[in-house]
Amino acid sequence: MQERLSLIDLKVKIGKIIFKNSVLVASGTFGYGEEYSELFDLNRLGGIITKSVTLNPREGNPPPRTCETPSGMLNSIGLANIGIEKFIQEKLPFLRKFNTRIIVNVAGSTVDEYLQVVEKLNRAKGVDMLEINISCPNVVEGGMVFGSDPECAFRCVKSIRKATDYPLVTKLTPNVRDIGEIALAVEDAGSDCVSLINTLVGMAIDSKTKKPLLANITGGLSGPAIKPVALAMVWKVAQKVKIPVVGIGGITNTEDALEFLLAGASLIQVGTSNFIDPQTAIKIIEGLKNYCKGNKISKIKSLIGKLKIGD
Amino acid sequence: MVFQKKVKLISSEKLTSDLFRLRFFCPEVAKGAKPGNFAHIRISQNTTPLLRRAFSIFDVDLKKKTFDILFKVVGLGTKILSEKKKGESLDVLGPLGNSFLISSKEQNLVLVAGGMGIAPLMFLASYLVKSEKIKREKISFLYGEKTKNNFVCLGQLKKLGVKTVLTTEDGTKGFKGKVTDLFLKRRIKLGIGKNCFIYSCGPQKMMKKMSELSKKYDLFCQLSLETHMPCGLGACFGCVVKYIKNDTTPLAGQATYKRICVDGPIFDAREVELD
Repeated sequence: MQERLSLIDLKVKIGKIIFKNSVLVASGTFGYGEEYSELFDLNRLGGIITKSVTLNPREGNPPPRTCETPSGMLNSIGLANIGIEKFIQEKLPFLRKFNTRIIVNVAGSTVDEYLQVVEKLNRAKGVDMLEINISCPNVVEGGMVFGSDPECAFRCVKSIRKATDYPLVTKLTPNVRDIGEIALAVEDAGSDCVSLINTLVGMAIDSKTKKPLLANITGGLSGPAIKPVALAMVWKVAQKVKIPVVGIGGITNTEDALEFLLAGASLIQVGTSNFIDPQTAIKIIEGLKNYCKGNKISKIKSLIGKLKIGD
Repeated sequence: MVFQKKVKLISSEKLTSDLFRLRFFCPEVAKGAKPGNFAHIRISQNTTPLLRRAFSIFDVDLKKKTFDILFKVVGLGTKILSEKKKGESLDVLGPLGNSFLISSKEQNLVLVAGGMGIAPLMFLASYLVKSEKIKREKISFLYGEKTKNNFVCLGQLKKLGVKTVLTTEDGTKGFKGKVTDLFLKRRIKLGIGKNCFIYSCGPQKMMKKMSELSKKYDLFCQLSLETHMPCGLGACFGCVVKYIKNDTTPLAGQATYKRICVDGPIFDAREVELD
């Protein structure tokens, strides 16, 4: 049985990069990898996307920063991170020990800031890909601003494209009129693929105290609650662009992952579910393997975009 | 070392109208847990409530390889937990967080618990007495509740032989007033001063008061802080507290945020700013 299973090809190629399987862990939910390394073998993951890194260290927003909502959670962390210098010195050496793809999530408040971070990463070892965060809803400057307007998104990604040889995945916000438009713009700008969705802007209020439950008042909604929205957007974007799509949003089990693949995602990211069950990604990898075996599918990539519409 | 494991519920005991004590069979946590550590427990296989809940380790039994938590039913998560039956399995992450700094010198130790704050401090008190490094006469336990029927563990405290002083807000047992009032009133008598180790856990308002008192009198007091924690592992940066380093390093005096789950839950009361 072990032999039969190993014949199943879970590999997915994006540009020149081969992912050993379709399951990655999403930015902001997996720290810098080390936080989860005692709980399972990180080598088994298709890839790790780091917490967003900015040019300078950021303290982030005041607490409370998170709150639970029905089938989901709100967060307003505000891109708290140690800054690119410390990331390269202290976090990257640990990550590059693992035989998995390392994708560094880059954020900034100005295009110049993105470029300075990318410049430093150009000289670093052990990075496979950059995820460009133009979709954070919890910061005043930059973040979602770049991702809400096709022209801004184009300019930001184009400048980064010129500044680096790393393959780029641009992370898109769902808080826009037409996500397909933004996806097309970043494709034109030279992004190698797009990942979506980042969190949906949301809010929670304590009716007893009459106060918002987050100090930042609003935050980003994630978790199973947003899965149908994410699925629809992934499907929509996959129709529109030629570059691969990475599906994110409320994925907690193998069925969820399969749905995203069918909708057109080449890879998927597990986010909030890492908090609930740190083994989620590993269970999905095993589940996809078993699904392929049970359905006599030899290559997982043959499932991508195979949604059946009509008879 | 952190473990994630399905562990069996050995017993569920209702201590007061809304207070429960659960015992789990888990050799890893029983062996690894130090006073102050917590366990992060998945309450439900459904998506509501979605997130795990963090509980201070309340007791461990090395021989029987069990650990206990103590909690009050305050919402949906704790209600579901209170309905779990003996023999059911729950997904537990632990032991997590830092632990109380244990004094190695012969000095006065004062434990100050308010309400559910009894949980980590009871574990600490048993640990201190068992370790035999510190004479039990040196340990004082101040314990406050709203009313006399809320008290738990009084038998255990008596057995430990530590000096216990009780207070209730309605005056139905012990002193009348908050445990922080008692702490202030008894400060001199209990020998609370710079060479004393103070440990405290309780509601947010009480932690704020203890933090203010520690700064005012320059006391070494360790607080066990509580908050919602999405991951419990330091990955999400969701559970932060405002922190100002209290030393002579270049970073002294600068406000930053610390994660309660991995940089805490135990903090020097003089170094945190609570709302």
